[in-house]
Amino acid sequence: MKIKLELYGASREFSKKDYLEFNLKKKSSIKDLRNEVITFINENFKGNDNFKKLVKSSTFCSEENKIISDDFKITKDQIIGIIPPIGGG
Amino acid sequence: MFHAKIINLKKEKIEFKKAEDFIASSKFGASLIFTGTVREINENKKVTGITYDSHDQMVIKSFKEIYNEIKEKLKLESKAVFIEHVKGYVGLGEIGIIIAVACPHKTEAYIISRYIIEEIKKRSPIWKKEHYENEESEWLKGNSIKIKNENY
Repeated sequence: MKIKLELYGASREFSKKDYLEFNLKKKSSIKDLRNEVITFINENFKGNDNFKKLVKSSTFCSEENKIISDDFKITKDQIIGIIPPIGGG
Repeated sequence: MFHAKIINLKKEKIEFKKAEDFIASSKFGASLIFTGTVREINENKKVTGITYDSHDQMVIKSFKEIYNEIKEKLKLESKAVFIEHVKGYVGLGEIGIIIAVACPHKTEAYIISRYIIEEIKKRSPIWKKEHYENEESEWLKGNSIKIKNENY
């Protein structure tokens, strides 16, 4: 499955684009996606600890703009947003 | 009455007068307009500006939920609420957010305004990258959004 991961806040530092793309196996979960992002950090940013902490403390949101848990099963190609800890207002 | 909008500063400006006009049209007797602006010093660093980022659809969704909770949780039915938040770069002293509230009495106006800003900080997906006079810019640390239920 092709997942387009939209980047927000500090996670924008992961790429010059607004998103990252991942290929996941069928029936993958958000937990699997989180691990893929950490692998990406290891490979592209020498395992930058701050980036990995950011991924671990982030939540994710679906195309339907719902916050989704680590158990959420991804069943099709889709856009998912990574939501780092917030601090606006 | 309810108005909520993300102001993309690449396309438009945030305008205090819009909030004033909205409040004036509501005909309530008590009103408050809160503005959040970029402050000069944060954690002993001299700030020159902030770049705001947001997940626009989720932010608007959270604003609507917060508005609905004023009736459901605070039991305050008569009110007019205006919320605008910027996206993009704002300089020192410039406005990042406007919350305008009108209702029949002053106590409720203060309660509603306070409730809105505190809830936005807890749950609206908005991020700040602070820019400093002599230091590298940095994204401010925030709070993780809690997973409440299936309907969030």
